[in-house]
Amino acid sequence: MGEIVFKNICKSFGDTKVIENLDLTIKDGEFTVLVGASGCGKTTLLRMIAGIGPATSGELYIDGEEVTDIPPGKRGIAMVFQNYAIYPTMTVRGNIEFGLKNKKIPKSERDRLIADAAEVVGLTPYLNRMPSQLSGGQRQRVALARAMVKTPSVFLLDEPLSNLDAKLRVAMRTELIELHHRLKTTFVYVTHDQTEAMSMADTIILMDGGKIQQMAAPEVIYNDPNNIFTAQFIGTPPMNVHKMRDDVNYIGYRPEKIQIFRDKPTDCTYVRKVKVITREMLGSETLYKLQILSDAENEKEPIMSKSLDMSFAVDEEVYIGVPKEDLYYFDANKMRIRETDMLERLYCTTEGDK
Amino acid sequence: MKKKVNILRKLFPYVMVIPTMILLAVFVFYPLVNMVYLSFFDYNLIKEKTFCGLDNYYRIFFIQTDFRDAFLNTLIYMAGTTFFLLFLGLVFALWLQRDSKFNAIAQRLMFFPNICAGLAISLIFQWLMDDEGLFNMVLGFFDIAPLRWLNDSTTSLLSVMIVAIWKGIGYYALILLSSVKSIPTELIEAADLDDAGKIRTFFKITLPMLSPQLFFLLITLTINSFKVFDSVRLMTGGGPGNSSDVLVYWIYRYSMEYNKYGLACAGGTVLLVILLILTVVYFRVIGKKVHYQ
Ligand SMILES: Nc1ncnc2c1ncn2[C@@H]1O[C@H](COP(=O)(O)OP(=O)(O)OP(=O)(O)O)[C@@H](O)[C@H]1O
Ligand SMILES: [Mg+2]
Repeated sequence: MGEIVFKNICKSFGDTKVIENLDLTIKDGEFTVLVGASGCGKTTLLRMIAGIGPATSGELYIDGEEVTDIPPGKRGIAMVFQNYAIYPTMTVRGNIEFGLKNKKIPKSERDRLIADAAEVVGLTPYLNRMPSQLSGGQRQRVALARAMVKTPSVFLLDEPLSNLDAKLRVAMRTELIELHHRLKTTFVYVTHDQTEAMSMADTIILMDGGKIQQMAAPEVIYNDPNNIFTAQFIGTPPMNVHKMRDDVNYIGYRPEKIQIFRDKPTDCTYVRKVKVITREMLGSETLYKLQILSDAENEKEPIMSKSLDMSFAVDEEVYIGVPKEDLYYFDANKMRIRETDMLERLYCTTEGDK
Repeated sequence: MKKKVNILRKLFPYVMVIPTMILLAVFVFYPLVNMVYLSFFDYNLIKEKTFCGLDNYYRIFFIQTDFRDAFLNTLIYMAGTTFFLLFLGLVFALWLQRDSKFNAIAQRLMFFPNICAGLAISLIFQWLMDDEGLFNMVLGFFDIAPLRWLNDSTTSLLSVMIVAIWKGIGYYALILLSSVKSIPTELIEAADLDDAGKIRTFFKITLPMLSPQLFFLLITLTINSFKVFDSVRLMTGGGPGNSSDVLVYWIYRYSMEYNKYGLACAGGTVLLVILLILTVVYFRVIGKKVHYQ
């Protein structure tokens, strides 16, 4: 119903090129989450799909059809805008109803759809209010409801939960996942929040500077990153990465994969002696900031470790070890090196420990 | 000690507004009250003034027809200029909203008449609308019979209105343009996605968003058009006959030329009452529907 294909798409505003030569296929019926730092072009991408900020060049297909000449209203798309864009001159009901009226849906049907949508987003008591009398989060839910009633073939959601409190956000997240299960249409969902991305997505698209860094299922993004950017973007705290001794390549390992020992371990590929700088209790886990005890320039940066063991004290000197399978290697261009045997032999063994 | 400071602090705002209040009292409140007062007298600056009750009002409404003519003309003038200035202003604002070099130039050109002196414009149009003027030359070029514009009782008021619209259009277009531009583009885009169509988007989104400004302009326009004077005096002198006479010009004639101050003041009082009623009605009735926030 709604496969979206970008072919060699470019987008510039005046002289600034925001997106260059983008090729991308968003699969039909999938929940695709677009993540990336602020200003990387996520909204721009959605607006191209919606047809309200057309690409400068290239071809865009929705459901196999070139859509350049199809007006936004005829593309079968519903969008939740980042800044809501709800109509200030209409009541909540009027906002939700507007698109339905334009589609000439009969009154009784409209009323039913509105009642349903309002119930889902919890706005039933507010249907006759003006937007100016609503809180930010309530306005955001109006925008959501307005999109939901339209039963589109593609849903575009630009950070639709950013203004909700934690509890409501989790509830709405579930609602959206259920909605997706029910409608089985294509969802493209933009977020800053990587937990949201990891928990909701079938596929994550990670963008940086108008380019796609990696596009894969959440577990692949986490376990098998293509480059340092992806490796460090997903996961909190981010993956520890530092230059290897050859001063060319990089080595990385996730904070939660680090094992901490009082005695020097023997079965780990990567072993370093470290000193505990700070210690932060997170509840079930403890966050340690560690300094590698070495004179090497490349290992000066402190590393982070997340451990279930809370017994290590500040200033204590301990050993860390990372198993072979949890080590990642990247080349000088910060791209992943998957042929690692040689690198491991050369740089990783306990010889780093002094 | 402390009490003194408190009193001073309370008095301070009043002290600050005293100069303005004095000026207002001398130049606005006193003349207003005096006008209403004089409207009940038979008074012509020379003779002893004598109280005559509502006689002046009776005369201007039921005996002399020129007041009624002026009154009706003013209503027509008001309705015509208000409607066309708002309508055309909106049309031009919508037309000019896209940023382009051409539009920037057009915008400045349209504003130009507004900074010209009314006197100059009146004189220019008097020349343009002359029997042998440019307008008739153009009409003649297309083989259309010449119009007598300002000199014909059927077109004189219309001609004055055309000049007023021409002069004001740039100003109203500019104000509306800035409000059109302040409508968030996302709203229009959202309406696009809601498949609203251009016309529906205009009536359901753009127009309601503009309503506060339109309302404001409506008030100022109606009030200003009740006060029209200089263009009428310069271009037609109210004529031919009373065909382009208006309220303020009527008042002016009765006071400055005929020295019938009692009648002039009665006319002025009528004008005052109308403006008061208009303002109240506007704020009561339309004001409620306009402010969506
Ligand atoms: N109308 C515009 N004119 C010029 N530059 C623009 C315009 N819209 C966006 N940009 C630029 O394009 C880039 C991408 O913008 P975009 O809105 O897509 O970012 P985003 O990924 O959605 O960011 P955020 O997460 O903060 O919403 C930014 O650098 C921005 O400055
Ligand atoms: Mg954005």
